[in-house]
Amino acid sequence: MIYRELQRNVWGGVSILFKVVNNFEVEENQETKYTDSRAPRKGQSHSQGDGHLIELRDLVKVYKTPAGDFPALNGINLKVGRGEFLAVLGKSGAGKSTLINMITCIDSPTSGEVIVNGAAVHKLNEDQKARWRGENLGVVFQFFQLLPSLNLIENVTIPMDFRNTYPLGERKERALHLLEQVGIAEHAYKTPAKISGGQQQRVAIARALANDPPLVVADEPTGNLDSRTAGEIFDLFSALVDQGTTVLVVSHDKEVANRATRMVEITDGEIKTH
Amino acid sequence: MNSILWDDHGHKPNGNGKSNGNTSLIELRRVGKTYQTSAGRFDALKGVSLEIKQGEFVSIIGKSGSGKTTLINLITGIDDPTEGEIFIGDTPVHKLNEGQMAAWRGLNIGIVFQFFQLLPTLTVLENVMLPMGLCNLYTRAGRYERARHLLELVDLAEQADKLPNKLSGGQQQRAAIARALANDPPIIATDEPTGNLDSRSAEAVMKLFEDLVAQGKTILMVTHDGDLAKRAKRTIALADGVIVN
Amino acid sequence: MALHTRWSKIFKDMWSYRSRSLLVIFSIAIGVAAVGMINNAGRIIQRDLYGTFTAGNPAVLEIYVSPFQKDLAKAVQGMREIESAQARRVESASVLGRKDHWEDVGLNVLPDFNAVHVNQYNLQNGVSVPGTREILLERQSADKLGLAVGDEVTIEMADERRYTLTVAGIVHDVYVMPFALLGEATGYISMDTLEWLGEAPYFNRLDIVVTGNKFDKDHVLTVGNLARDRVIEPSGYKVFRIGIPGIGSDPGEHWAQSQIKGFLLILQIMGILAIFLSGGLVINTVSAILAQQIKQIGIMRSVGAVRHQISGMYLINVLVFSALGLLIAIPLGLLGSWGLVNFAANFLNFDVGQIDLSLKVLSLQLALGLLMPVGVVLIPVFAGTRISVYNAIYQNGLGGEKEGGWIEELLSKFRNLSPPVMLSLRNTFRKKARLAFTIVTLTLAGAMFIAVFSTRASLTKQINDIGRYIAYDAALSIPGGANKRTVEREALRIPGVSLAEGWANAVAVIERVDGSQSAEVDLVGLPGDTATIDPLLLDGTWLIAGQPQQVVVNDDLLDEEADIRVGSEIVLKVGESKRTYQVVGVLSKHLSGPRIYMDYNAFGKLTGRQNQVDVVRVLANPGSTSSSAQQELIAQQLEERFQNAKLSTSAASTRHAFFEKFTDVFDIILIVLLIMAVVLAIVGGLGLTGTMGMNVFERTREIGVLRAVGASNLAVRSVVVVEGVVVALISWALGAFLSGPSGRALAGAVINAVLKADLSYKYSVSGLFIWLGIVVLIGVLSSLVPAQNAARLRVREVLDYE
Repeated sequence: MIYRELQRNVWGGVSILFKVVNNFEVEENQETKYTDSRAPRKGQSHSQGDGHLIELRDLVKVYKTPAGDFPALNGINLKVGRGEFLAVLGKSGAGKSTLINMITCIDSPTSGEVIVNGAAVHKLNEDQKARWRGENLGVVFQFFQLLPSLNLIENVTIPMDFRNTYPLGERKERALHLLEQVGIAEHAYKTPAKISGGQQQRVAIARALANDPPLVVADEPTGNLDSRTAGEIFDLFSALVDQGTTVLVVSHDKEVANRATRMVEITDGEIKTH
Repeated sequence: MNSILWDDHGHKPNGNGKSNGNTSLIELRRVGKTYQTSAGRFDALKGVSLEIKQGEFVSIIGKSGSGKTTLINLITGIDDPTEGEIFIGDTPVHKLNEGQMAAWRGLNIGIVFQFFQLLPTLTVLENVMLPMGLCNLYTRAGRYERARHLLELVDLAEQADKLPNKLSGGQQQRAAIARALANDPPIIATDEPTGNLDSRSAEAVMKLFEDLVAQGKTILMVTHDGDLAKRAKRTIALADGVIVN
Repeated sequence: MALHTRWSKIFKDMWSYRSRSLLVIFSIAIGVAAVGMINNAGRIIQRDLYGTFTAGNPAVLEIYVSPFQKDLAKAVQGMREIESAQARRVESASVLGRKDHWEDVGLNVLPDFNAVHVNQYNLQNGVSVPGTREILLERQSADKLGLAVGDEVTIEMADERRYTLTVAGIVHDVYVMPFALLGEATGYISMDTLEWLGEAPYFNRLDIVVTGNKFDKDHVLTVGNLARDRVIEPSGYKVFRIGIPGIGSDPGEHWAQSQIKGFLLILQIMGILAIFLSGGLVINTVSAILAQQIKQIGIMRSVGAVRHQISGMYLINVLVFSALGLLIAIPLGLLGSWGLVNFAANFLNFDVGQIDLSLKVLSLQLALGLLMPVGVVLIPVFAGTRISVYNAIYQNGLGGEKEGGWIEELLSKFRNLSPPVMLSLRNTFRKKARLAFTIVTLTLAGAMFIAVFSTRASLTKQINDIGRYIAYDAALSIPGGANKRTVEREALRIPGVSLAEGWANAVAVIERVDGSQSAEVDLVGLPGDTATIDPLLLDGTWLIAGQPQQVVVNDDLLDEEADIRVGSEIVLKVGESKRTYQVVGVLSKHLSGPRIYMDYNAFGKLTGRQNQVDVVRVLANPGSTSSSAQQELIAQQLEERFQNAKLSTSAASTRHAFFEKFTDVFDIILIVLLIMAVVLAIVGGLGLTGTMGMNVFERTREIGVLRAVGASNLAVRSVVVVEGVVVALISWALGAFLSGPSGRALAGAVINAVLKADLSYKYSVSGLFIWLGIVVLIGVLSSLVPAQNAARLRVREVLDYE
């Protein structure tokens, strides 16, 4: 078992090395194909039947703790349509972070189904999840989570790098364009430590958009920001929604309610309907 | 009022007797804190003056970025003010260096963190004994007895010999409170103590705090939860670095 | 050119943590350089020393013969079994060197300096044929004596007459032992000059190259016996000794070849050890990088990185480290081999050709440098990239600990320790893999260190054991022999000398049961009540006076004649005389070669040399030897008296001089070994520093908590330092355990390489405790910097970042 994993790992390393050595031509060809197929794919997804981007069915998550089982989610059913700006509200410990981790498949459910953009993501294995996530959604964390040693452009480029989207030569341009979009292009060559928290969160949003995903998910994106900066970040999300991206924000900040097109409140692992 | 604080030699001149509650235990005079970030200056606190009397249960509320965590960090000496003075008893906290501060804080302020911060390799009992050892208080046998007693107080006597990871979040936080009480400090400072707990555990922790206040401890609690804040006798609301109530 | 972002992350991370990157790069470089140095040096020595040696038609056999003329060499060369034979005269004299200091010199006379065909030397300067009253000097001798071509040199012969010769040439002779090693200069003169020096014109040695397999010891010795039986003795000459040149060497080999081989082997083992230690350091550091970047791994996975992409990143990172390590290691190894080869060349007196790097050594370095690091990090990388995004990103507060193992179980039993000490102890065992590598490194260094001390102790013991066989103050050989009573009486006239013993020597062969004969064995006849030997008996008893049929043999003889044991009967043959004796005891080896001791009277009967002795051994106080100054005084008087009495012109030897000579040679070797052990200790210390640094780094938050609950600077520092010392002590205990066998192996290897003798092993307890002091010091020193860093941490920085 371990041996096989090892073998795969070694092979991974070797194949990467091989790619580096054989310059980038091969990849560029693949990418051209990929870019060709991108436009229709997005159109296609819009024309899909039920029009729901996210569908959660009887979702249950139980954490095993030394003090006993802790049910974080108690049978959640939720549908989110394309182009919605959904706010998930709730106190600490209510289960809202758990819920969002199910949608981003950062965590897996104890039972129930998670269908996002037509894929039953709870059935994927870790690597499939990583691939799927990289191509279909952008995640924004409370603590920004930029890679400290990379400059802003590189932080925005890295999702394209891992998923091989866009030709190598175009990635930097695209990253710059995204940084411009979040209003931070002038800092493009700085490292994250050199900019403020609000600016870091903008970069995180640009990174979430790198592979042009149909869905952006944010967990307490303004939890560490002062109120003015928080407002600016929400403005950015609103702009994304206007461009057709579906946005899901988890927050305990009531401010978000003013921006969202729809709100769900979670208490003790259940959705409280309004 | 000085009498309730430990002196440099680990002596508390007046036992645990209550002093008169009219003079302030904690006093901040025009305290400001400015962070120099690469993105520019950020004024976290702007000339805050404040007095807290012994035995008060004070909650500090405000949104993210309002300066509430900065305020409590300055009082506990975890951070230094850019300007102004902070006195706790007669001690000018702002003048102590990091090493002196650590020793002074160990004796006079018990800190309870949001994420418990128990040392993972020590048992619950050893975690509670640790501050006494570090500040060289009590005899060896005395430390053990006292730690046992404190764990009984927070209803964890049965968990004493377990490692922290065997405990639930609520239990860990109660152990952390027992640790904060180890050196019998007059002040307890806590930042979002229930932020990571379910509502039942949170309630147990709040009940403990109320008991401690009844015994004469002074408690400062940072929270963003309005409901929790209401349980304190006094609420200080912060917004953009200034007190707003 | 556009670069993949993940590759630029690798390079930027390397740059951000420069000191850590350098630690890995140097770890790889040190091990690989060591292996390169040793292998390349071995190859160059092989090429240059053995090359020069083989090129000059080396003699595989030396036969010492009674005075003869050069016709005998021709007759011997005429044998079918012999390729060439060359006559040589070897004569001892003294030469005046720098600062009016007299040195021993071996004077060599060859029949025809224009046609040297065995043991050919190379001319360095001047002329290659010495004229009358001229001398050629071996180049190292000339160098040490401070003489050049054209200089005049004073020679003193045994009869104390002095002569002045002119240095006509400087030659390089790889067949004589160099001055640096032997302490004896080498010169070449013509037979005319020798006569002028007052010596009779004859030769006394034959240097022989055999036909057939030159490397087969048995074959070579058989040819030697044939030459003696068919040519030399029938011509009326007497053969004193047939031997193979060198110090216990095999025929056809350079006289130091097995010693060099032994030494290179020891170094090779140390090189392998260095590679092991490097591997440990690489694993520890890469594990720490992975641990530190857990959150970043989680982020990368959250933006779409699949596992093989991430493991690939870290493996490529290691490959970059390897490449940079090789960049240092290859030139460093070459430089090291240059140093090692030159050291050897100086010591052993050979010329070094081009210092180059062979493809084989280069490939070895490349393979080790690239495969070793990647190989050892596969498991940590594999394990480190396995973590789920959830665990990587949402780890809040102090990290969760795994179930405690038996160590934790054991530690939880200690209840009386104060919590800070408890914390240090428990922390020690938290990262078990890292701890294991650190301890292995320090343990190996410790085992090596103690082994070097044990080697020293063993060498000392060995010398002391050998010293028991020369329990005299001074001894003097009497060439040709003299009457026993005269000799002893003469010696006893020296003031202070209270005991004088005359010993006799002969060469015998053992006639085996099947009628075949053994090789020649030294036969020693000594007084039944001898007091100048304190034999170390391995078995049986020492000679009992009045038992003329008893003999005692040494262990060297048993190596050659496996059937002999205590109680055996052996038939000894000296010339035509043949008698049977009983073996009653076996002695330890004492650098003598196979030897048989028997009572003096029995010796006389067997050899037919009644009342003749060849050596006189004297003692001032029976039962104890004198001080070195007193020994020198006695030796001088002994020489003087015997010269005046026309009994001997030889130089007397003292027990003290014997010890001194060996100690000097051993010290050089021990210093080289000690330097190696110190290097290992430094690498071990670096490993511990790295480990403690990583530990502190990972426990930043815990240290903040310690601060928050009242830990002073001193308390924070001591938590770290105590942990370092605990690690050091564990490694010491394990090292102590391992030092027994490792010391035995190293001491055995060294003694075998140097003395060509078996081991008499002694464990060095003082080495054990010296290492205890050093390792505790290493523990303290290597945790001081991390401890300082820990004490500098401020609570806010620690707790505020999330």
